[in-house]
Order: sequence, then structure tokens, then C-alpha cells
Amino acid sequence: MSLNQKFDEYYKTKLVRPGNGCCPACGGPIAWRMILEGLDKNTVLYGGAPCASCNMSTINLPQFGLHFSSVGDGAAGIAAAFKVKGREDITVLCSSGDGGVGDISFGKVSACAERNDNIILLCLDNEAYMNTGGQKSGLTPYGAWTTTTPEGKKTKKKMIPMILAQHRIPYLATMSIAYPQDTINKVRKAKGIKGFKYLHLVMPCPTGWRFQESKTVEVSRLMVNSWTWPLYEVENGVLKITMKPKQIPVDDYLKLQGRFRNLAKQEIAEIQSFVDEERNRLVEVEGKNIWI
Amino acid sequence: MPVTRMMEGNEAAAYGAKLARVEVVAAYPITPQTELISSLAEMIARGELKAEYIKVEGEHSALAAVCGASAAGARAFTASSSQGILFMEEIIWMPPGMRLPVVMCIVNRSVAPLGTLRPDHNDSLLQRDTGWIQIYCEDGQEVLDTILQGYKIAEDKRIYLPVAPCYEGYVVSATATPIEIPDQSDVDAFLPPYKHELYSLDPAAPKPRRRGGSIAQGRYDICQAMERAKGVIEEVDKEYSKRFGRYYDGMIEKYRCEDADAIIVTMGSITGTARDIVDEFRENGKKVGLVKLRVFRPFPTEELQEIGKKVRAIGFIDRNTSYGAVAGNGIGCVELGRALYPLKERPVLLNYFVGLGGTDVTMPQLRHITKRVVKAAETGKAEKEVEWVELEKLEE
Repeated sequence: MSLNQKFDEYYKTKLVRPGNGCCPACGGPIAWRMILEGLDKNTVLYGGAPCASCNMSTINLPQFGLHFSSVGDGAAGIAAAFKVKGREDITVLCSSGDGGVGDISFGKVSACAERNDNIILLCLDNEAYMNTGGQKSGLTPYGAWTTTTPEGKKTKKKMIPMILAQHRIPYLATMSIAYPQDTINKVRKAKGIKGFKYLHLVMPCPTGWRFQESKTVEVSRLMVNSWTWPLYEVENGVLKITMKPKQIPVDDYLKLQGRFRNLAKQEIAEIQSFVDEERNRLVEVEGKNIWI
Repeated sequence: MPVTRMMEGNEAAAYGAKLARVEVVAAYPITPQTELISSLAEMIARGELKAEYIKVEGEHSALAAVCGASAAGARAFTASSSQGILFMEEIIWMPPGMRLPVVMCIVNRSVAPLGTLRPDHNDSLLQRDTGWIQIYCEDGQEVLDTILQGYKIAEDKRIYLPVAPCYEGYVVSATATPIEIPDQSDVDAFLPPYKHELYSLDPAAPKPRRRGGSIAQGRYDICQAMERAKGVIEEVDKEYSKRFGRYYDGMIEKYRCEDADAIIVTMGSITGTARDIVDEFRENGKKVGLVKLRVFRPFPTEELQEIGKKVRAIGFIDRNTSYGAVAGNGIGCVELGRALYPLKERPVLLNYFVGLGGTDVTMPQLRHITKRVVKAAETGKAEKEVEWVELEKLEE
């Protein structure tokens, strides 16, 4: 069997086809492989966010999409149609980016959560409007350079998972491509739960974050291991930290990326201190119900 | 057996949606549409209508959810007014471009800031270029009937375009009239279950929307579907009249036009008053007729040309404004002027603005307009081509 034939045989068993229109070393295709591993063929994909949708043409699932100003609502319509037709066995997966979920469709996502629409809402977060060349979004972290924050962002990242946790949704989780099994487990869990499920995966962007193409997974791992992006889930209000790596200095994560190049020592220290504080608070509530 | 009940236009619209067996409703309240969607919510809650009602957080989401539902194979319905229609503008372009046969009632309300909660036609007419079939209804009965006809037209595979039944807030939406509610079995025979031949999101048998082809081709296809819609609207109206006994004359209604020299053109609720005015002038021996422009998109070009060939003056009564438009005209008159342009002998064209911001359109106003049009027909010229009737001293 030639290598090509082997590839063909392999992809016959997968929901994703080879090749995509993404930038080299984009975290997206890596993420999609894991996410689709947690799903099955009985799934409909709804999407529209540009970076997230670069992958859509390579995914073997029926698809529908509007614009990234319509995150959630179109999927809610699809789910309603399936419900009325007695087809609630079908998983409706809504894919979006940080700009869609956190900014332009924020109200819509909140409404889907409040209505407990039977969908999985996936946020593939590359921390800026990367499809337009890297502009600040509400989910861009403190200190990061973007083309609209040339001096570095002065405010912090909006914590969408925690905001949605307070919507009393049945399940949400944060995910990273550095921890594939954790990601797949969370997708599988979400698939088995009825109602609104929120999955938030940080998708490293070598183009916008300015790091070497070989370091996509490494940057992801450092992000989790520095506790800048802790991995947890909230099931019926109860928070569980799913990965507890030994904490490394936040600078190890920041220094690989050009977007943080201009941070002063003082600013790095500040970031370290609020990462520590947030880590402590997170550990404190572990195992507890955070619906407050 | 059909039953007749007194009800407001909004409730009649809810009955239309119910009889059409809509499967997904997504809507957001706005005056004067609210009673329509609350009636539907009650019907669903009582189990009279088996549908999912998505209580969205805004109109943009309402239409987006309706698009998703329609693509997933459900007959979907929404309704809005004024600011709500403008808020969903981005999504308004989606159903035509994606060929989704949804129905959305536009309960006309004037647009802020130079507007009130009461009606004029700017909210719906602003959408005239987006690819929606627009049918303007005169009363509650026509609203109910047009929703049923609307799904039949929209879901016709020659068309696959969305339909907007438009009716004025308060005047139609909140006025109780006797409404004949057709029998469900008759409606079922008229309107079979929805099935889209271009789409299936069912993972077991997916049918992706056809992509490819140029943008120009996609848009041309919609224009062609609009052209075909003229025939389909007529056909559906005829079939409807056979089954239910009410006929709306397809694209336009001609009232006492046979030997008329002067014609006034109306849209929507003012037509009833205008018929009385025409009768009044006829009694005085004036050869006046009335055209009710029922369908604005596709525009009834051929029908109006036929009328234009036979008469000396036409006055278009616009309940809208289009700032800076050609000759200071309203939206309707501009279209009518283009329709009449190829005629060898063109009638005098006059334009009247009435009822802006929902002010009452009165008998004296319509009498004034008709007098002017009759005079233009007699003299062969217009003393004044455009009049803002509320700002004029009315002719006695």
C-alpha cells in the first residue's frame, strides 16, 4: 500500500479531510482533529467565524452558516427544527471564534445559554480578530500587541467561561490542544448532555501571536502549564480542574511570542501576580458549586 | 367547516401561521407586532400548534434562527416592525441569497426619529432590493390568506424566495373585523408539508447547498425567480380562490378601471377608503378608477403598463418617503414612472404623500388627491406633480 493509499484509508474513518486553507501551523486544524474525535457522524455543523470556518470545508459533516454576528442563533434554529421533527439524536455543533462569542454575538450566546438551547457552542479562541490581520477583541489578553493595540492591550481578557457558568448551563469546559485526551473527553461529555454546552479552546495563532511555526503545541502547553489558561470544567455548577500541571513562570510562555515583546519587566510581574491570584481562587473553589 | 370570528389583524396573522402548521417560530416583541407573537405563543402553549418557539433576544437573532430552522427542514415563521426590521437588516439578505422559503410578517410602523409607533411603509419598502417577495395587505382577512399563499409561493421550487406579508400596525393589526378561518383540512390540501429540494442537513442524507457559479449568476437567478413569481402569485391566488372563495386579483386589484381616464394607486389599508372616494366620483360622472398595488416585489410592471396605456393621468399615493429621490417622488411613484416610461403615450404622473408617521388618511385628503388627478386627466397636465397632502390646503 502506497503512502497516499494509506492516507486515503485513514481519512475514510475520520470526519476531517486532509488539507485546509489555514495559515501554516495554525492551531485550528489540530483542534478540529481532537474535537471531531469526540463526535460522530450524526452531527450538524453550524459556523461562520472566518478563522474557525477556514476548516469547515475540510469537515465531513452537513453544514450551515450565516455570519459571525449570528453565533448560536442559527444553531438554535437548527436544533429547534430537529426537536420538532423528533431528531434530537443529532448533535448540533456551533463553531465560532473569540470575536463572535465574546464581542459581536455576545448577547446571542448569552441568550442561547439562558434558553438552554440543545447545542454545543464551541469557541475557538485565537485572542484577536486574526482573519482581518489581528485586531484586538474582548478576549485579547492584557499586554498583547495587536494592530489596534499597538501599545499593548491595557485591559484584561474577558472570561467568557465564567460568565456563561453564571447562566447555570449544564456543562462548560476550557480546552487546549496541548492536552488532546482532556479535550476529547470534554467533547464526548458535552455530546452526552442535553441542553446548552459551552466549550472554549484557545487556538494558538503563529501569525497573530508572532511565534515560530514549530511551536504551536508548545505555546499551548506553556499557556496551560503557566496557569494562564487553566483547564477545568463546570458540570451543573460544580467546578473541577482537569489538569493540574506544576506551575511554570508566566514569562516562559510570554517570551516565545512577539505580541508580548514590548512588555516591561514590571508588566510581566503584574501578569504573574494576577495569574497567581486567579489560580489561587480557582483552586479554592475546586469541587464546589460556583453558581453564585 | 370554516368559522367566522371577530378578531384583530395580528390574531388573524397568528391563525394564518397556525393553519400553515409552522414548525419553528423565532420572534422578538415590538409594537405593533406583539399580539401576533403572543397569540402564537398561546396557541403553542395550549398545544393547538405543534411548534418550537425560540424566544430570542433580538430581531437579528429571530431571523437568523428562522434561517437555521428552514435550512434544517422546518417551516419557519417570524414577524417584526420598524426598528426591528432595520435591526435584522444584515440577516434579511440571507433567506433570498440562500433560497430559504421563510415567511415574515412586517407589521408596518414608521421609522424613528421622524416616526411614531403608527404605520407608514418605509420599514418594509426599505427591504425592496433584498430579494423578498412583498405583498401588501388591506385587512386582517387578507393577512391570514396571504400567509397561507405566502408559504405556497415561497416553497414553490420555481421560486424558493422568502415572502413578507406586510400590513399596517394598528389600522390593520389592532382593528377587529370578522375573519373567516378556513378549515384545517382544506388548508392542508392547499399547502402540503414543507420539503426543500436544495437542502438537507440530516446527517443520514445530507444535501449541501449548491455553491459555485459566479456571484452575478446567483443574483441573476434570484431576479429570474422574481420574474417567475409574478405567474406563481397569480396561479396561487387563483387556486386559493377556488378552494376558499377569496380572490385578490393576483398582482394588482383593479377597481372600476375599465373606462377610467384617471387612476389613483394605493397600497394597504387606505384602499378601502379610496374605493369609497372612487364611488363618490363615479356617482358624479367622473371616470375614475383605483389600482391597489398588492405586490410590490416583484413589481407589477406589465399590469401597470396595461393600465397606463388606457388612461390620461395616474396619481400614486405613497405612504413613505425617499429623501432626494428622482423628482422628489416617493418609492412607489419612482417605480411606477419607470414602468410607464416605454409607453408611446404616457399618462400624466402625479405623486402624493399621505399618512407619514401614521397620521390618519382621511376622506377629504383622498378626495383632494382624486380631484387633482381628474383635473390632470382633463387638462393633460399637472398643476403640481408632487404634493405633501398633509401640508397642503385641501381643495373643498
